Amino acid sequence: MKNVVKIERTIFGLTQEELAKRVDVTRQTINALEQGKYVPSTVLALKISQVFQKKVEDIFSLEDND
Amino acid sequence: MKIRFLLPHKWKRVGWWISVPFLTFMTYCLISSYQFPFLEYRAPGSDPISFDQYFLFTLTSHNFTADIGGIMVIIGLLLVAFSKERQEDERIQKMRLESWLWAVFVNSVLLILSIGFIYGGLFLTVMAYNMCTPLILFIARFNLVMYTEKRKLQKEVQ
Repeated sequence: MKNVVKIERTIFGLTQEELAKRVDVTRQTINALEQGKYVPSTVLALKISQVFQKKVEDIFSLEDND
Repeated sequence: MKIRFLLPHKWKRVGWWISVPFLTFMTYCLISSYQFPFLEYRAPGSDPISFDQYFLFTLTSHNFTADIGGIMVIIGLLLVAFSKERQEDERIQKMRLESWLWAVFVNSVLLILSIGFIYGGLFLTVMAYNMCTPLILFIARFNLVMYTEKRKLQKEVQ
């Protein structure tokens, strides 16, 4: 699953640490997520999309091998 | 995300304080066969080398050093293994689960090899160690993964 968390975070002017605090996870989790190394749970995906005020599918999308 | 069955983070330190000294002591006991004399129990007129004593309430002679030590080691390791990280989140939960799978798998392979290649008294010693190896393997793997991740992030920041 790919995502545009890094792009949205930059648009919103948030650091990884700030986004992590807002969605109640560690900074390592945001870092792993942005690098595509971690697929978040539905709850976390919803929380992130809420921060960026967008739909989940605008932030996260499936890849061919998913 | 609500996390069940995990203790607060402060218990991890308590776990280390219990498990490290008792693990060292128990290893020494296994190697040297040391037993505390004050933990010796013998019912009057009993046969000291009777092996037909299977349960606590039918014991007529026993030294409780290994029993108490073993219980303390397991309690200590359980506290270390089942305490939350300072900031526990869903990714850490995933790493925790993966580390458990790895630990059980590696422990089973070691057990199969021990059953196949080790016999007699040494096999009983291996079994004694095996009471703690799943927890030790889990703690080692989980902490190693956490440390590696932390180092990787620190390098990326620099």
